[in-house]
Amino acid sequence: MKVKSGFVVRAVGDEHIAVPIGDRAKEFHGMIKLNETAEFLWSFFKDEHTEEEGVKALTETYDVSDEEAKNGVSNFVKTMTEHGFME
Amino acid sequence: MVYEIAGLKVLFKNKYKFTNAYCEKYLAEDQNSYDLVAEATDEEFEEEKKQSPIKNDGYIENICLYRSLCLRLPDFDRFLLHASIVEKDGVAYAFLGKSGAGKSTHSRLWLKYIDGARILNGDKPIIFYDGKEFIAYGTPWNGKEGMGYNGSAKLKALCFIEQAKENKIERLTTSEVATRVFTQLLLPSDEKNAAKTLELVDKFITNIPAFVLKCDISEEAAKLSYRELSKAENF
Repeated sequence: MKVKSGFVVRAVGDEHIAVPIGDRAKEFHGMIKLNETAEFLWSFFKDEHTEEEGVKALTETYDVSDEEAKNGVSNFVKTMTEHGFME
Repeated sequence: MVYEIAGLKVLFKNKYKFTNAYCEKYLAEDQNSYDLVAEATDEEFEEEKKQSPIKNDGYIENICLYRSLCLRLPDFDRFLLHASIVEKDGVAYAFLGKSGAGKSTHSRLWLKYIDGARILNGDKPIIFYDGKEFIAYGTPWNGKEGMGYNGSAKLKALCFIEQAKENKIERLTTSEVATRVFTQLLLPSDEKNAAKTLELVDKFITNIPAFVLKCDISEEAAKLSYRELSKAENF
């Protein structure tokens, strides 16, 4: 799975914000706020990866347990899929 | 004709005369050079016409021209902010809120109760980041009541207005400001200007103190917001 193309992401204040561009801006209006984990995963899932690979990347980068990383990835994928940002 | 808006020279390629009269006070002295061109495509015109079918064609074109200009402002370190800007002692204060929240009403309270307060722009000012400070500019697009003037002032604080029975003002965190301010911006959909908008908003919300004012329409509400906003410092 991967995050759909057609967004730009920048640091805004203490968070990151993604906004749609081009054709993506016609189907989605507004912005997406990303916390640190979400921003990491957004960037990671720009390329095609499995959830397991996401968990591995999280545990290798942050000081988190397998369990925490699994929850993090699963929440991210669930939320992004619900909003139609993943394919 | 070339107009000088928010310190930029803009060539409007309008078909209808409406815009010439509407922007009269902003006509540039030198008509021979410009920074950017704004025009309404047929597609944009038809789309806008669908939104406001009862308006005349000159008005529709005028709306399209302003949008066309605003979508390219980030590249010039500027952006459109949907807000009412009040100027007092050369300092600008921005009131924001959902439609009907009372930003115009609160601005008028300042005119009535705060000595020397003037409305710089009642609806669609342009904000310019000069690398250090944010400057609010009046524009011809100043809302239904046409309140505003061709001028500018350094922006000191943002204040989101909400109606309430009692008057209370609270400081907002940058995360809260980000959520609130995005609904009051025009987001370009080309990559360069979209990215630049985010970069400007980052500077904006980390540099300008922001508040939420829950208020009625009394003198006390205006005095409270003036007192807190005029002494606001950044974190």
